[in-house]
Amino acid sequence: MPRTLKISFPEKCVGCEMCILEAQRQLSKVGLEGALIRVFRNTNSKLGNIEYSLEIDPRINSLNVDKIAQICPKLVFEVEEAE
Amino acid sequence: METRPRKVLSINLAKKEYEVKSFEDLNNYIGGVGLGFKLMELYYDKNPLIFAVGPLNGFFPFASKTAVVLNNDGVIEDIYLGGNISLRIRYAGLDAIVIYGTSPEPAVLDILNAAVSFKSVNENPEKLGLPGKKSVLKLEGSKVLLGGYFGTPEHYLEKEFEDKNLYGIVITGTELMHISDFDKYEELYSRILNRKDDLSVLEGNYPSCSNCPMGCGKSQTGEMGGNVLLHSLVACQYADKIYTDVGIVFSCLNVLGYNYTHEDIESLPRLIEQTLRRIS
Repeated sequence: MPRTLKISFPEKCVGCEMCILEAQRQLSKVGLEGALIRVFRNTNSKLGNIEYSLEIDPRINSLNVDKIAQICPKLVFEVEEAE
Repeated sequence: METRPRKVLSINLAKKEYEVKSFEDLNNYIGGVGLGFKLMELYYDKNPLIFAVGPLNGFFPFASKTAVVLNNDGVIEDIYLGGNISLRIRYAGLDAIVIYGTSPEPAVLDILNAAVSFKSVNENPEKLGLPGKKSVLKLEGSKVLLGGYFGTPEHYLEKEFEDKNLYGIVITGTELMHISDFDKYEELYSRILNRKDDLSVLEGNYPSCSNCPMGCGKSQTGEMGGNVLLHSLVACQYADKIYTDVGIVFSCLNVLGYNYTHEDIESLPRLIEQTLRRIS
């Protein structure tokens, strides 16, 4: 059954980009071009309160999503079994 | 020893001009503080502000700092900035950025790989660059902060921004790096990441440097001084157990295609000291 990567706890993200780099390595890439995950700093958050948001491209699910979820130090992601 | 040219983006603020220079003979300086000091010597008369990354930045965990080298009233200082800027400089295909002169009006530099757009201070730096692939370093209140959080020790960088009439720098990197033996690289990456417990800092929930899972509270203020090999790579000072391990360092450099010898590494502190002596 296909497994899908879901952003469950974006508020826990510390902006380390480990997930982006892991996904890129799975594609034998080092760099940010064509990344299937993107991490943004919210510039409208209160001063001194740094927050991040994430976007994932659905094509991420063709990769080893468990490995991507596991590399996140803050467990921002969950892997779900698709119906 | 293999010679790999160091690619340096030099920016003349006064003339609003820039050029990319390829230096063939800077291999011995490795990168970071070594490269930064040598570039300071080469550009000394122009009073440059230098951002220099090392060969491991963008490739390996816990190697996420950027060396900032500047002349503080005749004293050459090296300070270290965390966050994501080292990865952006690396993915811009650059080893260093040298900024000199004084802008005629408050300026924001919008750097996309090796191209520079000179923007007015009326441009919001947060709106420049490519989302998800950029770093924004700008004056916020009395501090120059990266991503609204990461700063540097003392007030040196702020003084440089003020002297150069610089308000912000946005750097976007869109290049992909080539590694010939990717399996070996991945194996080494995992091996280093698994040495997380060797770091002399605790995990936290603070904004983290890119390619570092620690989220420690130490990176906010940047670093100053310390081991020259570590700062030439440019790794985090709290990862010194890993990146002063010469075996690990050689393995990393080797998989990236560098071919340094033990003599090259051993002679680095002396080389840096001699360079510093010439410009101090």
